[in-house]
This record gives sequence, structure tokens and C-alpha cells, in this order.
Amino acid sequence: MKYRNLSIWRNIDKPLLIMYLLLSVIGYFIMYSSTFKGLNIQTDFWSANYGKQFVWIIITLFIGFFILLLDGSFIKNTAYFTYGFVLLLLILVLLMPPIKGARSWFYFSGFSIQPSEFIKLTLSLSIAKLLSDVGSRFQEFRTKLKAFFMIIIPALLIAVQPDPGTMLVFACFIFVLYREGLSGNFLLIGLFTVLIAVVGIFLKASNSVFHLAGNAISGNIFFGLILILGFIFSFIIIRYFVLPRYRKKKIQRLIIITLLGLSISGGINYVYDSVFSERHRTRFQIMFGIKEDRKGAGYNIYQALSAVGSGEGLGKGYLKGTLSNDKYKHVPEQNTDFIFCVLAEEWGFLGSFIFISLYLSTLIRMILIAERQRSKFTRIYGYCVSGILFFHFMINIAMVIGLAPVIGIPLPFFSKGGSAIFSFGLMVFILLRLDSERKVVLR
Amino acid sequence: MDPFKNRQWVVILIIISVGLIFSFRLFYIQVINKDWSERAKQITSKTENIQPPRGFIYDRNNQLLVGAETIYDIYIHPSIIKLKDSSAICKLFNLSNNDFREIIKNASSGYNVPYKPSVFIESMTQQEHAKISPYLGQINSVFAKPKIDRGYPNPIAAHLLGYIRRIDENQFKNTKAQGDFFYTKNDFIGITGLEKEYELLLRGERGNINYLKDYAGNKIETVNKKPPKPGRSLYTTLDIELQKLGEKLMENKIGSIVAIEPSTGEVLAMVSAPSYNPSSLTGRDFSENFKIFKKNDSLKPLINRPVYNDKYRPGSIFKLVQALIALDDGVILPETGFSCNKNIIGCHNHERPDNLTKAIKHSCNPYFFQVYKRLIMKDNSKNVFQTSREGLAIWEQNIKTFGFGDPLGIDLPEEKSGFIPNVDFYDKWYGKKRWAFSTIYSNSIGEGEIGVSPIQMANLASIIANRGYYYTPHVIKKIANENILKKFKIKHRTCVDKKHFEVVVKAMNEVVNKGTGRNARIDSIEVCGKTGTVENKTFNDHSVFISFAPMDNPKIAIAVYVEYGTWGSKWAAPIASLMMESFIKGSLSKKSIEKVNQISQAVILNPNTDFK
Repeated sequence: MKYRNLSIWRNIDKPLLIMYLLLSVIGYFIMYSSTFKGLNIQTDFWSANYGKQFVWIIITLFIGFFILLLDGSFIKNTAYFTYGFVLLLLILVLLMPPIKGARSWFYFSGFSIQPSEFIKLTLSLSIAKLLSDVGSRFQEFRTKLKAFFMIIIPALLIAVQPDPGTMLVFACFIFVLYREGLSGNFLLIGLFTVLIAVVGIFLKASNSVFHLAGNAISGNIFFGLILILGFIFSFIIIRYFVLPRYRKKKIQRLIIITLLGLSISGGINYVYDSVFSERHRTRFQIMFGIKEDRKGAGYNIYQALSAVGSGEGLGKGYLKGTLSNDKYKHVPEQNTDFIFCVLAEEWGFLGSFIFISLYLSTLIRMILIAERQRSKFTRIYGYCVSGILFFHFMINIAMVIGLAPVIGIPLPFFSKGGSAIFSFGLMVFILLRLDSERKVVLR
Repeated sequence: MDPFKNRQWVVILIIISVGLIFSFRLFYIQVINKDWSERAKQITSKTENIQPPRGFIYDRNNQLLVGAETIYDIYIHPSIIKLKDSSAICKLFNLSNNDFREIIKNASSGYNVPYKPSVFIESMTQQEHAKISPYLGQINSVFAKPKIDRGYPNPIAAHLLGYIRRIDENQFKNTKAQGDFFYTKNDFIGITGLEKEYELLLRGERGNINYLKDYAGNKIETVNKKPPKPGRSLYTTLDIELQKLGEKLMENKIGSIVAIEPSTGEVLAMVSAPSYNPSSLTGRDFSENFKIFKKNDSLKPLINRPVYNDKYRPGSIFKLVQALIALDDGVILPETGFSCNKNIIGCHNHERPDNLTKAIKHSCNPYFFQVYKRLIMKDNSKNVFQTSREGLAIWEQNIKTFGFGDPLGIDLPEEKSGFIPNVDFYDKWYGKKRWAFSTIYSNSIGEGEIGVSPIQMANLASIIANRGYYYTPHVIKKIANENILKKFKIKHRTCVDKKHFEVVVKAMNEVVNKGTGRNARIDSIEVCGKTGTVENKTFNDHSVFISFAPMDNPKIAIAVYVEYGTWGSKWAAPIASLMMESFIKGSLSKKSIEKVNQISQAVILNPNTDFK
């Protein structure tokens, strides 16, 4: 026992541990500032939001400490079981009464639990187990299918809640699968899809009209024509400049891509008109800066951007914000989804830049840790954790700084919310534990 | 080995590029583009004006005439109304369910939002507020906010004090055009009387406060504050007691009283009847009362008659001026006598006017016809038209030195000039050389085309009391800006030499003791006065009386004009007498008090007046 304990402390990845603790502490202080009501307002610490958050952080560290004492194989072996258990909770949570329009919480007296926060952890473990099991090869279609269902089932359950933000995070597993051998085309197709979608939505949202030979045609049809034009152009190039033996393959791909582009663009057309409600449309219009609705749908983002912008170079100083804390409350949801506003306002560009650097360094550190494993399980799990955190970070910050439409999603280690703090903490601790065994076993 | 190991770099590259994109974006909105920072300021900071309290107005003995009164706006805050509150609110303010719903709707729509309190009862008086205030504490969603309005501890002198009201669009534009940026559209501004005349001093200087607000607009932290400078107080020359007495005497009558201290020109009392309670033009009831006063009351209570009504013919009191000018011109002597020839001009029966004193004492019309004739037709050798022209021109000049025909310059905005007919006027009316003394002789007895305002009449009394000079009548005694007072310290001399006044003064004393003005006698005080009866074709003649007392070293000069008062001695003389008695003695005798009551109960109104 003595040896084992020692080996934990010797082998644990101290940079990651320090980064995690640093993020947690910074996160806590930002969270404290976000719920700050002014010095002269006396609030009972334990009943205040920051008191609860403090308790959750302590619990997380405590449980995390025990996790460090667990055996890695135990974690691996119980992966399916925990996954199944949380999946069950995800089904049961749909029976709960909705809070703010979503059935995401189990509500107990005093605190609430959000199972969708935990499914990310258990799903990561299960995917890692599935892909690392002896005898399962990712190249096989069966394995891919299993992995696909493993991911899509909780994603759909969460979509039903509805919680689009969390659902979107599940897309991060594409990185994991990519690392494990999924064709890079999927990433490219993903990028291509996003590009076409952005252009398509922009054209729809802006109601662009182009004039062609005297006829006014809507933006999307024009876009489709451009795609077809591009196809013809590429076809001609292939026809005359590519060696005959490669031609067939290239033309096949060209046709697929063009069809994909056209169908996405057409799909966007349909979704925008028929599936989206007016509320969604306004959100997109606001995001693209086509419409300004400072009092209505654009309120959140307008206030958030003002708060971020007002931080300027060096910020206003800790607890000295005038927009985003609870004292002024100009920014709504300032202690959950828009918590980055507090940091950006009080610490300015300098603080924001350091924050981004630290956060992304942590994620990169996780990738590097994953890559040094001999155990496939730990590696995949490392990618999962890094990917999940990355998606949270990316979607959350992009939303706050006006690069994405407003989607409710917490910023890990910062946003108020016990379940999130706890589950993200566990993810990191499990990674630390698994990594500390990297020299011991080959799994 | 792992064939996909290099893919880690793709992932890391993606992570780094996202970090770069975010950093550039942040650098843009935080450092390069200052728009968002500006917008944040607009969102958080708010500057509000702080209203300076308006200056008070006092009388000559530092008694408060216009002060402040606290009134209350009742606010309602819809978003925090609890179920039990709504029934309590309905009960407290006597509202039906529908009223209540209407109130909530109004407080949540238009300019109002449910999460901010808004006014639902404006300008509640102190008494009304006292009734509900004990219950207000129990209802969180309703509260009262005090504000200051004009208060009148002595509800008198409404015309002189004037009123304030919310600035209208035109005034707002005009002040802006004149480079005066004091007002906001919610401000009050003096419209008449002293409130208008001394607006710049009374209004004070605006302060402001700049503070950080929260999302609901609540004040969170003061950034900058400039306290307002309260308006300066005015100390007037008015005597509250005298003014009160005057208003009481003029109840149920139409007309004016003006009392002046001759030695200074200070206005002691200025009554315009009918009058109104100045506090009726404050607060919530302003518009309703204003409409009544302005449109529906044919007696026009808003007019400040003593200075505004310059169409009054002076009647017989004008004979005093004629006598003085004639003496000075040397066209008559105190011993000059004429016969009371009723064929020339109507008169009543009295002893023969064989000197000036007797003529004044009995107010003999034919006598002053002759006097005026001598004034106008000095050179009988010339053409009668030409002589009249020359005579009238000189006469007009002389008359004007008594303060007629032009505004005196009292510090009230409504003052009008009065009218002294001159050569141009008659030329226009009759044509050049088509009029002569015979056309204009009614001027001799203060009838005809002459128009004089009551303040000018009182000023005449003051001139005679001073034996030949006057100070511009004024209402202000003490003021922050001493320069304003300078023009009231200039002695204005008449064209008439001092020595000629004694005769007239003696004669006026005779008028009161033995002549037409016996009703004005006061025990143990030598009063000088002159009655006037102004012809009125539609109804009773108007009753006029000017007077001063005591004869030597006069303390008060007064003019009383009672429309439809039949003749000078009937109403105007006793009213003047009571006023003077009260002022000089400090109190009224028992008999006088009885008289006051009698007079104040007398209703003297034109039955032809259309009452609505």
C-alpha cells in the first residue's frame, strides 16, 4: 500500500494538476465576483451562491482524492455499468417537471442534479473501453456502429429535454474517433458543412437578393448556382489537367461534394423556413449583425458584448465591474452561461488572453498526456476529456463574444452549478489517476 | 506503431487556432473598437437633474407669503404586488377590481414597465396623504414619494404673486433660443406676477447627479454630484394685514385697491377683485381651476386689474392734476373763481366755487371746464384749432410728468401704459384741424379718452402726498441683486413746482372734512382725498377715491376703484379710509370693524354680467 500511494504522488502529472487547481481557483473567484452584490450587503456565506459553489469544489476535491486512490482497472471495468446507470437517469429525468422549460434536473430539497453533466464522463469511459477492448478493431464497421449508438443515444435523450447546448458537445467525439482512425474526410466534411451552413443561414437571415440578367433571385438559389458553377469549373479542370487514370475517382468525389453542398444548402433553406421559429431566426440575424434588437432577442448578447468590450485592455479590477455582476445585473445569466463577461470586464483583454492561454494549455496538456500512454483506454479517455472541455469552452466563449448564436452551455470550472463542477472535476481526476498508472500496466 | 499518432497535431492545431480566433476577436472588441465600451457606459451610467427648490416670497415684515408645501406622488410597483396586497390597495384607495386592473395595466405598459415603480396618483395633499400613510408601510408595492410644490400659508395677493406652471412648448423653445438652457420639459416657470418678473432669481441653479444604475435603472453608486443652488428669496414691500383687509373689503366687488408708501414708492397692498386663492393654481387641480378662471368666469379673476386695466377713466380725481398744472402754468391762481354754470357741463348743487379750494372740495365740473379751457386755449389771438393743438401738446407733456400715459415701471410683468390723448390721436380720429377745445373738453374732468390704471391713480395720490415727486412704485424690498433696486431709488419730479401743492393738499383735506369725501374721515388723523365718479352708460357709475394720510408727513397713499360703485364717496372712500386707518393705527376701531363687515358683504356686481 505504501508503495502504491507513493507511486501516485510520484507519477501524477503535476502540470495538469496545478492547471486544474488554478482554473478551479480562478473560476471560483470569478464566480464569486459574478454573484457579488456589493460590500455593504451582508449575505450568509453558506446560503449564497458562492458558498454552495465552495462546498461543491471541496466535495469535488475530496472525491477526487479518493479517485486517486482507486485502481485504474476498477474504473475501466465499471465503465459500462456507470454509463448504463446514468443513461437510466437520463430517461428518468424526462419524467421530472420542467425547470425553465427543460426537463434536465432532478430536484431535491436544497440542491439539484443534472444527469446530462455526468453522461459526458461515463460516455467517455465507455467509448474508451469499447475502442480499447482486445478484439475490437475500430476499422470494423461493427465497432463504428457500436460507438455511434453509444454516442447518439444519450445525445438524443438530451435533445428531448431539450438542451441543445449540451447535445452539441457530443460532436466533440468526432475528434476522438478521428484520432482512433476515422477518416479525415469526416472532419473536412464537417468543416465544409459548417461553412455552407453559415453561408446558407447568412443568406437566409439577411434575405439577400441577387440580380441576375434582370431577374431577382433569392440568395440561396444564387448560392446553389455558384456551387454548380464551381462544379462545372472543377470538372473542366479535371477533364483537361488531371491524368486520365485519376479522373474517374476525382470526378466521383466532385459529384459527391457538390451534391452534399446542394443538399445542405437546400436543407438549410427548408430548416430555416419550416423548422426554425421566429425566435431562432432573430437570434441568427442578431449574430450576423443583420438585425439589432437591443431590448428583445438581442438583449443578452448586446449586454454581454458591452460588458466584455468595457473591460478594454486591463479591465476594471476585481469586483469593480459595473455591468456583469449581481450588483448591476445588466448581463443576464451572468453566473452561468455568461460568466466569461465577468472575467473579461474585470480583467480586460490581458486577463482574457491569459485565461484563454491557460485554458487551452490545459487542454493541450491533456492531449499530450493522452499521447504518452501505452494504455489505449487512457489515451482515448484523455482525448474524450480534452474534447468535451474544448467544445464547452469553444461554444461558450464564441457565444459570449458574438461569434455564435446564444446557446446555453456552461463554462467548465467557472459557471455556477454543482453537477458541472463535480463532473468536470471527476473527469480530470480520473484522467490524473489513469495517467499515473502509465508506467505500471499496459491496458 | 500507431499509424494515427500524428493526428494529435491536427487536434492541437485546431485548439490553438480557436484560441487565436478568440484572442483576435477579443482584442478587437476590447482594445481596438471602443464602441462596445461606449455602449457599456450608456447602459450603466445615468445623469439626472436635481431640481433646485424655488425661492420663497415674504412680505415687508418677513412673514411668509409663498413657501413650499410637500405633496406626495403615490407610486405602484406592479412586479412585486402580492395577492394580499391587491385587496389592501383596492380598499385603501377605494378602487373597484376593474380600476385596479386598469391601474396595473397602465403601470406596465407604454412608458412604464412592471419591474419599475410608476406614479398612479399624482400630487396628493398632505392631509390626503396623512390618511393613508399608516397603511402604506404594510404594502410593499405601493409607496409615496414627497415632492415640493408652491405653498401659500397666507392665501392672498394671488395676482401680485402670480403663478407657475409647467413650461409649454413655445416657452421651452423661446428660452432655448435666448441661450437659456435651464429648463427641461418637466420644469415649472413663472407665468405672471412676481413669479414671472423674478423668475431668474427664484428658480435657482440646477444641480445634477451622475450615477451607476442597475438593469432596472435603480441608482447603485453615485459617481458625481453637483448640488443645486436653491432659488433666492424675495422680500416684498407688501403688508400682509393690509392686503388681507383690502381683499376682504373688495369681496363681491370688481375693482382695485393700490396702497403706496409715498416716501419710498413701496407698494403696501395691491388688491384686484375678484380674486382667487393662489393655492388653487398649484398641483393636481391647476388645469381644472385654470380652465374655470380663464374661460368660464366672465369676471376674469386672473387679470391683475391694478396694473393691467388701463382703460379706467379717472373721473374727478383728475381735476387735481388739472388744478396743479394750471397753477404752475399761471393760468389760474388759488383765488381764481368761476361760476358753476351747469349749462356748459353737468354738476350737482353746491356753494359757489369762488376759489380753487372750494372747487375741489365740491368737485365742481364747470370750474374745471374753465381751467382746462385756459390750459388748452392759451393764445386767443390765433386760430382756435391751432391754439388747441399747441395747448394740448404742452398739456400732454405736463400730464405725463405725473406718470400717466406710460408704464410707471413697476416690477410686475402685466403693467400697461394707460392713455393720454394727444394731438396725433385727435388728428387721426377727427382729422387735422377738425378738432378744438370744444371737442375734447371732457378731458377736463377725467372723462373722455383718458385711460389710467389704478396704480397710476395711487401714484398720483403719492405725488400729491410728497408735494411734487414720486418714486416708481415697486413690490420688491430686498433682493439678492441690489442693482434691481437702483431704479426704484430715483426721484421723479413733476412739472409742477412744490409751492403749488399746498393749496391742493388743503383742498383735499377739505374734501374729506367738509366736502364730497366725508365718508373717508378717520378720528384723530387728518386725511386728504378726492372722490371720483366715472360715468358708466351700461349700469351704475364707477366709484373712485384717491387719498393719503396723514396730511403732514404722509405714511400711505391709496387709490380705490370700485366698478359700478355708484359714486366716489359711496364705496371707494370708506374702503380707502378703513385701509388707511388700519395701516396707520395698526388696528381698527370697533366701529370700523363693523363697517368692514358691512362693506365686505355688499355685493356690487353688474347685473348685466353673464354668470356661468
